[in-house]
Amino acid sequence: MSKLFVDQVDPKTGTTLTLGTSGDTISIPSGVTLSSAGTNTLTGISNTPAFSAYLANDSDQSISDSTSTKIQFEAERFDTAGAFDTTNYKFTVPSGQAGKYLIILQAKFGSSQQNDIVGSSITLKINGSDSNSTSWLGPGYISGTKDPILGNQLNLSTLVDLSASDYLEGYAFIKTNGAGTPKVQEGNDLATFFMGFKLIE
Amino acid sequence: MANLATKVKLYCDANGKTVDFAPGGNVELVDHSDGKGPFISSWNVSGLAQPSDSDLAAHDTAGDTEESNNVVRSTRRVAYGDIGDQLDEIFKDIDAWKARIQGIKDANPKS
Repeated sequence: MSKLFVDQVDPKTGTTLTLGTSGDTISIPSGVTLSSAGTNTLTGISNTPAFSAYLANDSDQSISDSTSTKIQFEAERFDTAGAFDTTNYKFTVPSGQAGKYLIILQAKFGSSQQNDIVGSSITLKINGSDSNSTSWLGPGYISGTKDPILGNQLNLSTLVDLSASDYLEGYAFIKTNGAGTPKVQEGNDLATFFMGFKLIE
Repeated sequence: MANLATKVKLYCDANGKTVDFAPGGNVELVDHSDGKGPFISSWNVSGLAQPSDSDLAAHDTAGDTEESNNVVRSTRRVAYGDIGDQLDEIFKDIDAWKARIQGIKDANPKS
């Protein structure tokens, strides 16, 4: 192996400088800094897999009172790896895509009866079990008055370290005064959604 | 048919126990949205066994009544108005306030 000691390498006028050919590996050893002040167009480095699913079809999801219920994300904005199942409403980490994922879950709550909600929560489940990520609002419990509210919206964001075939689901819980039917609301396709992407590491 | 939560609450009430469905509470109800409906996922009511299907069925009729009355309670609550306004009503004319509240109760009877 020989070393090339130069201060600058430029392409010939009117051409593009190419490093290596398909199948080659160009390594940057530990301790070396690659700095760039120009424009980078990097293909093959992206925050994928990525998905964005939502509660849609102009229909709210009625759920049972005081029951942790899987949210029916039956529509997608995008799903780069085809990893979100809109029939079973879950994201499964594809083979070879283990890593850290940013996950965002949001749900809007209401009831068929006005001013009926006394508590609500959303929970991210990993492989069917509650994760440590639960967003919880219980105005009645907090104030001690149990004054019900018309509706609310909860959001949770979390970074999780996932293995291939791990799966994620979003669950909603609404406690009411028992007067109406609790609902997870679609809000013009914008209010209740489930999204995430893998971090570049 | 009454909601599972209502029947579980009545079952606990009948046995002198308090149920808490909130996250971290002593009973968790789950629905996987798979068409099978809600079920008891975990049960930690001290001194009381998890109810059987027949235990719950025994509270179905009472559960329907309870849920019907919950609608009445909600309707009444809205009609009563803000508690601060009611205190003002009481201070100014307690008899007029009592008459108004009684009228709301009469117009919205419980089962």
